[in-house]
Amino acid sequence: MTIERAAVEAALDRLGRGARLDVSAERVGLLRFAESRVVFQHDEERLRVRARVTRDGRTASGMLETLEPAFVGALADRLEDGLASLPKRDLAPATAQLGGVASRPVASEATLRAGAPDRYRAFEEIRAGLGDGFALGGSIRHDIAERVVSDSDGLYRNEVLTKATLQAIADRDGRTASVRRVHRDSAAIRVDDVASVLREELRELPIAESVSGPFRAVLRPQAALTLIATYGYWSLGAAGFDERRTAVAGKLDERVAGQLVTLVDDGNDPDGLPSGFDPEGTPKQRVPLLERGVVAGVVSNVAWSHVTGGVSTGHGVPDGWRFGGDPAPSHLLLGAGDASEEQLVEACGDGLVISRLDYLRVLHPKETLVTGTTRDATYRIENGRIVAWYPRVRLTFRIDEVLAAIVGVGAERERGDIVFMESVVVPPLLVEAGPLTL
Amino acid sequence: MRAVAEAVLGLLPRDVAYGDVRVVRKTHELVLAERSGPGELAHEESIGLGLRVVVGGQWGFSATHRLDDAGIADAVERAVVQARSAAGRGEIPLGEPVTTQDRWETPLEVDPFGVPVSTKLDLLAAVVAEAESAGPLLTRVEASMDFFRDDKIFANTEGALIEQVITESGAGLLVLAGDGNDVQRRSFPNSIPRNIRGQRGEFATAGYEHIAKLGLVENAARVADEAVQLLTAKPCPAEMTTMIATGVQLAMVLHESSGHPMEADRALGWEASLAGGTYATPERRGSFRWGSPICNVYADATIPGALGSFGYDDEGVRAQRVQLVRDGIFLGYMAGRESGGQLDVPSTGSARAESWQRVPLVRMTNLCMEPGDSSLEEMIADTKGGVLLDVNRGFSVDDQRMSFRFTTEIGWEIKNGKRGAPLKNCSYSSITPEFWASCDALGNEDEFSVYGVPSCNKGEPLQVAHVGHGTVPARFRNVQVGTR
Repeated sequence: MTIERAAVEAALDRLGRGARLDVSAERVGLLRFAESRVVFQHDEERLRVRARVTRDGRTASGMLETLEPAFVGALADRLEDGLASLPKRDLAPATAQLGGVASRPVASEATLRAGAPDRYRAFEEIRAGLGDGFALGGSIRHDIAERVVSDSDGLYRNEVLTKATLQAIADRDGRTASVRRVHRDSAAIRVDDVASVLREELRELPIAESVSGPFRAVLRPQAALTLIATYGYWSLGAAGFDERRTAVAGKLDERVAGQLVTLVDDGNDPDGLPSGFDPEGTPKQRVPLLERGVVAGVVSNVAWSHVTGGVSTGHGVPDGWRFGGDPAPSHLLLGAGDASEEQLVEACGDGLVISRLDYLRVLHPKETLVTGTTRDATYRIENGRIVAWYPRVRLTFRIDEVLAAIVGVGAERERGDIVFMESVVVPPLLVEAGPLTL
Repeated sequence: MRAVAEAVLGLLPRDVAYGDVRVVRKTHELVLAERSGPGELAHEESIGLGLRVVVGGQWGFSATHRLDDAGIADAVERAVVQARSAAGRGEIPLGEPVTTQDRWETPLEVDPFGVPVSTKLDLLAAVVAEAESAGPLLTRVEASMDFFRDDKIFANTEGALIEQVITESGAGLLVLAGDGNDVQRRSFPNSIPRNIRGQRGEFATAGYEHIAKLGLVENAARVADEAVQLLTAKPCPAEMTTMIATGVQLAMVLHESSGHPMEADRALGWEASLAGGTYATPERRGSFRWGSPICNVYADATIPGALGSFGYDDEGVRAQRVQLVRDGIFLGYMAGRESGGQLDVPSTGSARAESWQRVPLVRMTNLCMEPGDSSLEEMIADTKGGVLLDVNRGFSVDDQRMSFRFTTEIGWEIKNGKRGAPLKNCSYSSITPEFWASCDALGNEDEFSVYGVPSCNKGEPLQVAHVGHGTVPARFRNVQVGTR
């Protein structure tokens, strides 16, 4: 599939003044497995054409799966009628700077070529490596998206994004461990060591007695990823900041986290999953968010660019996005420290290793109060060593208190993704006793 | 659309043991008015096909928006190649063949897509104006309507050919109030978690007549006023106490602690790497005490007007009612053809896909709690001390659906049989069978209502299902409540 520039321009002509198109030709190939067998496969191609027309402070939008003139014309007429129905507003048009050069990520040839047989071979390799006694679940997925954002003022940006994802969860006697790897280039995702990693995670250990009270914890990257992404989504957008709905609202240049916490959003950083521009066509800016624990900024889109000095940072979200309409971080990177994960465990002394935080949900956004459970490979640490499995527990805590209690940061960062964020890059973290309580 | 479906089936190679195709045209209209912003109109259309095949005991699925000859041929090839690449597993048990030929359409009085946008905007503007009377502490007021129409054809290699037109209408109000230190939210008539297009308010399979019944204008000022009041309300006390949940609040607890765990694909471990497994394992059918003896739960896709109602599911199986819990004992599952076959039970007509580009998964239809013989007022009058909780704000549940924590938009203290002052930031937590075992009163038939929830997420790739929940107010003893 390719998006024809002439078709995009013809559609913009038909939509008229104030029109913007966000077009995405997408291909998804997926193999899902459970109980050590394939449960289904999926091969999807679609064309998403998101049209938005803004005139005199009034906006109407639409979505189609085609750029064929007859369908675009029908939508244009409908949007025209809609605009006429909306009350006229005397709003100054948003004047965010849309210029600048968008970086152009390199599409991975290996991901572009990957097909169902490749996914099945990878699954077979992991299953064979694990052997008997384990129930294997997970998925192997390849995504290709050709994107174009163009408007009636002459903006035209395009890029091809590829993404490969491997998730494997092994269950042995009710204990589970997981591996998740994601990269733009499927050739960069190792498959050959997945089984051995899972076997090591599921090694024989006694089951620890439940304890109560505050505890120290080593948050492994997948757990830290969920924590940081949740914090970023709820706290570091310009809309919530401006409406004083978020934890950092009114706290620019104030300390909200520990000295070891430096967080940026950077869609150009190759450690994440780079992309060049947002659905409004704004090039992705590098945005310092927390610098050594101090609030340094928030991310914005065109509508909220007044919060970020009149310039959108390139963090608009697609029209109709299922996680809301406000600008949101897209490529978070948490600065690395200098400790190995083993050193963090040793420094922890007594506490827990938490591999994943599952179903982490916000109870009170402004307080960053969340609740969730541990999942997969939660271990008890005693005297600086992992000594036992620890049962699944529910944790209810404030993320800002956890960020203020980080006393160790790992050197090795892991790239991940989450449904509401393109990529998150985080190291393991050591959290002092206090905010997390059993 | 029918011609496309027939063309697809005509192209299937001989080694395809089973195949089905859905051609779906999905239409969505959004109209939104807000307090100080420009408002929003959106019109979305999507048309495409989704094809499933079984070859050598493996599924293949492909979906495309290209409905010309080349697109159709390509989709067939891609589905078949997938299945062949993993073939050799044996047979997929699909139960009895599905051979129905029929047409079904949502009964409605007023086609919502025929109502002028200006009429919709006028109503929403009136809602916003009423809400604004709550004063300057309001930071956001949004009133919206969404309308959906799925026009779809299902056909399979067993001879089924089913045409359905499903129409859904919904609307809601979201109010945020803030004083710089605190932010509180109220929504009406149902929870509005975020400003997500298509998921705001209370929905039904119905026409525009549904909107008028919601009472948006009549309730807007009260709801907005409650949001402001909550800024200075007392926090919910942390204690083990008696908790009364309104029907709309009970809907989400039922959804998470009964609905998802009783989906057959979860019981088979197929969701283990995603949302997780379930406590409702197959060997527990007929013996596991899920709740107190007054608890009876069923799923029913035939309730007129309910959001989870339809004629046939996306495997062509007729809509039906299935009992899940009787007298507090877990009985069985909602199932599709394959998951039912694996558990040796028939499909319950519960396999649904978000649209053409997704495979059917086991989904709730209208999950209902049978009414009891009490009432909300009687429950309150009969409670010496406790809390009344209303409208869901958030939740978290573990991967086995046992440990959960819910928060609500608003609560009230109950003292000596009377509803008292409002409470903010209310939460409650429990373990599923302990929670339902503590249920000692249920509202009566007059209080039974089906709430439409258009935001049930499941699967990979993620799918959003529109489901209904029939509930009554309910009382629970010795529940941990608090603010965190």
